[in-house]
Amino acid sequence: MTPAFDRLLDVLKRLPGLGYRSAERIALHLLVEKPESLESLVAALREAAGSVRPCTRCGNIAEGELCAICADPNRDRASICVVEHVPDLIAMERSGSYRGLYHVLQGKLAPIRGVGPDALNIAPLLERAGSDEVREVILALSNDVEGEATCHWLSDQLAGSNVRISRIGFGLPSGGGVVFADPVTLKSALEGRRDYL
Amino acid sequence: MKLSTIRLQNFRNIAEASLEFGRGRVFFVGANGQGKTNLLEAIGYVSALRAFRPGDNRALIRDGAGEAGIGYVLEHERTGRSEVIVRIRLRGKEATLDGEPVRRLADYLGRFPTVLFSSGDIQLIRGAPAGRRRFLDLHLAGCEPGYLEALQKYHRALEHRNRLLKEGGAGSALKAFEREMAPAAVRLIAARRQAMEKLGGLVEAFHGRISDGAETGTVAYRPDVEADSAEAFLALLAKNKMRDVQVGSTQRGPHRDDFAFRLGGKDAAIFASEGQQRALVLALRFGQLRDVRERSGVAPLVLADDVLGELDPVRRERFWAALEDDVQLFATGTTLPGNAGEGQWQVFRVEAGVFREA
Repeated sequence: MTPAFDRLLDVLKRLPGLGYRSAERIALHLLVEKPESLESLVAALREAAGSVRPCTRCGNIAEGELCAICADPNRDRASICVVEHVPDLIAMERSGSYRGLYHVLQGKLAPIRGVGPDALNIAPLLERAGSDEVREVILALSNDVEGEATCHWLSDQLAGSNVRISRIGFGLPSGGGVVFADPVTLKSALEGRRDYL
Repeated sequence: MKLSTIRLQNFRNIAEASLEFGRGRVFFVGANGQGKTNLLEAIGYVSALRAFRPGDNRALIRDGAGEAGIGYVLEHERTGRSEVIVRIRLRGKEATLDGEPVRRLADYLGRFPTVLFSSGDIQLIRGAPAGRRRFLDLHLAGCEPGYLEALQKYHRALEHRNRLLKEGGAGSALKAFEREMAPAAVRLIAARRQAMEKLGGLVEAFHGRISDGAETGTVAYRPDVEADSAEAFLALLAKNKMRDVQVGSTQRGPHRDDFAFRLGGKDAAIFASEGQQRALVLALRFGQLRDVRERSGVAPLVLADDVLGELDPVRRERFWAALEDDVQLFATGTTLPGNAGEGQWQVFRVEAGVFREA
């Protein structure tokens, strides 16, 4: 439409989750419909960009050295749950059923997309797993070829440390009937069955 | 299984068609290029939501239209009356089964089997191994639970391994992907072996009924590697690694599997005449039909694209004899099947994408 508007669109539509149409809506909203919201957005972006950074220990977002979870004295320091990305961590936290610490890998191995071991946040994890207080590393990576291969790789890397390595289970969604589950999920659910008390 | 109604919109050269099928044997007759095979392809699309001729979605959508649509009403042995609706767009497609969206192909494949007899089938014998693997993979993906999952997993992990090999294969990630490949490879080899043993017997039996020669015709699995455990497959990868790194890709594995057609103990690709080769591929299709039916309890729809015309009267008679009476057959040809007799066929005349019941 105008050169500056087009440049803005181009930047916006590169953002994750935004297509051309949503980029257009956002641009028009900020420039024409609600220009007063633009200032606060710019300010918030600037402030966040200046203060938010990865936690030096686990890779979660933090404003100081450590994130809120690593800094929390009430978390169980004996277990580390390894996830791919921060949103996975947020999802686990929302479940409210985990009281240990996390480690965010910032991805999973995917050579065809150029993601190798060097691109992953692995060194701090090995260091942490080597400390005496850690007893268990829980692998909460996705259940696809790349996620599973990353689990194989992690368990090789962790072989030297004296920790229990576990993998989260895959099975039926809560409240879901067997009849609605797809065959692959049912297979995982059967493989992951346990004794019933 | 029976197809009772098909509706088409903007599929290839067919602007609009709505056909109802009553009898078990349906014949589409017309000159070349009028749309007979297009209709057969639309029927076959119901099996795997893909066309049997290569090409992208653009080729499936009529010129000038935004999307193509196919609606099917089927009578199914297990699920009764089922309705499938498919929309094909330039990018992607959507399907619903009885109003529910089909989200994963793996859950859908194999429900509505079809078996295609085509004059191009002779390429299964003469062509490259990739064509035979494709036949075997499509067959097993439809009737062997877990096969498609193993196939996708194997190929995905293989792709990653090949990339790592191109980069020298030195890193610690290589082994991680090999460990994903290994159980899938073992699964593929075992499923293919079992299926080929069964198909081998079926092909031999049907070949005996179709051909008049005394020679035995059959098919035999030619696995590229033997591995009956993940450990054995990992050992093979380790053994071949140096060469794999030199070439920059995985040289051995089920992605190089093949099967051979044999006639009188000899390789039919080299020693059989054209007529003998045609009899062999017919026998393979009959074997596939029987295997699907026995495994799933569902009688596939049979699609015969221009094959009846190229058979001599004796073979054609045997073709009918080999076909079970209760399967529904859709055949095409430029002339009506001479000896079929009036009233036995439901005939549609095809001209420029328009179908008229005769």
